[in-house]
Amino acid sequence: MRMTKKGQFNFVWIFAILAGGTILALAIWGATQAGDTLRFQSDTEAGKSISILTDPLQSGFAEGSFGKISFRQETRLRNVCLGPGFGKNDISIAMQSGVGEKWNSAGGATSVYNKYIFSEEVNEGEDFFVFSKAFNFPYEVSDLVFLSSKNYCFLNAPDFVEEDISGLGIDNIVLDNCSSGDERVCFGSGSDCDAIVYGSCSSGCDSVYDFGKVVRSSDEMVYVGNLMYGAIFSDEAVYDCNVLRLLYRAGSIADVFSEKVDLMNARGCNSNLKGDLIVWGGMLENSTSEDLIGLNGFAEELERKNKGGGGSSGELCGVW
Amino acid sequence: MVKNSGQMKIMQMSFMIIGVFFFFVLVGLFVLGIAFGDVRSGAEELARAQAISSIGVIAGMSELNYDADDTMSVDEDKLKIMSGGFSNNYEDFWPVASIEVYKVYNVSREIVECPSVGCNYYSVYSSGQRNIEKVSSYVSICKRVKEFGSVHNKCEVGKILVGVEIRESEVGR
Repeated sequence: MRMTKKGQFNFVWIFAILAGGTILALAIWGATQAGDTLRFQSDTEAGKSISILTDPLQSGFAEGSFGKISFRQETRLRNVCLGPGFGKNDISIAMQSGVGEKWNSAGGATSVYNKYIFSEEVNEGEDFFVFSKAFNFPYEVSDLVFLSSKNYCFLNAPDFVEEDISGLGIDNIVLDNCSSGDERVCFGSGSDCDAIVYGSCSSGCDSVYDFGKVVRSSDEMVYVGNLMYGAIFSDEAVYDCNVLRLLYRAGSIADVFSEKVDLMNARGCNSNLKGDLIVWGGMLENSTSEDLIGLNGFAEELERKNKGGGGSSGELCGVW
Repeated sequence: MVKNSGQMKIMQMSFMIIGVFFFFVLVGLFVLGIAFGDVRSGAEELARAQAISSIGVIAGMSELNYDADDTMSVDEDKLKIMSGGFSNNYEDFWPVASIEVYKVYNVSREIVECPSVGCNYYSVYSSGQRNIEKVSSYVSICKRVKEFGSVHNKCEVGKILVGVEIRESEVGR
């Protein structure tokens, strides 16, 4: 009699412990999954927010603009550039974790098709500095967005770069007074430089840095105009990919302008740029960042013609 | 009697555990429902914010703008080109679900889609989505003309509408 009672008592407890343990394990597993899902949600929203927050930072009709995006905790922002054609920048965010692995897995990537975000592929920090400048080739192709979490020190920067930095009040770039830990960017030459910017324009230039190349360890990036900043702040892979996207976009806009010439000619507002624009569109096809300096010469000629400064064949009705 | 009482206890315990289990499942489903409802509204809110912030960006794009130094002015020639099928190449490029531009001043009240005589409406892009909430802003619609031997800009007042996709349940809100 006692034995049976004891057996029944034990069975009840064993059953209760097993079932209770299972429920508890399921509850813990569910809570962890829900936590992961919510974190994935907030990281994805943060990635999307980066895309939206950079909208007003595009320079538009202004010379340029600057802004700072701050997170509450250490954040890893990944910028992956994908081509071909119009291509895209895939932006994803991962927050630092207090437990387990240092970084949580990144949220869903936000694809940005109509912006050209120049940065290193992986950026870490609480504050992200963003500024933008227009890219004209020779017409305005798009605004370029430069994103960085590091502090930079520019040495021997030319006047126009100094004006850009002081004019826009870019917080994370200092001129000449470098601190330890700053990324040192030297213009022309210098010692102990992380990157060197070379200018190669020798005649008819606003500055020797109208075009040239940026050298960083084994990376060498050819630039024209404001792409110089892109080469300073980007990895070579991100830079080359964004330049390819920009050249494709420039070609597409050339097609629009080519058709616009027909509409303008039809109402007596004549232009002789049709042929040049078709040639220009063909040149842009399959060009890479290596071809930028060669293309720049033709772009300057197009700009002269559009402004009506092309000698006897001067343009009256500008296309852009 | 004692045996029956033990069996009874086991059954009570089983029912209790099953009840507790279902209770937590229901609570979990309720919490997940709220959480995912939040995701949905968050996504829609972000899409709406993007559409609003995109108006200026879209009007300023080289494929539509009239003068890169001027804000909120679109080129009528470019509108004709982009609405004439050229923008099909762009597809994912636009950050919104639809882009339309129409003239609002000194034109027929009836909407006449371009290209046609006396037209006043350009459908630049449509993703084909049905449920779209639109945000709008006034723009100048300009073109370069040559009259009496001189070239000048001719502008009209217009409105640009960009659409953001909304869910079925939000229609008519």
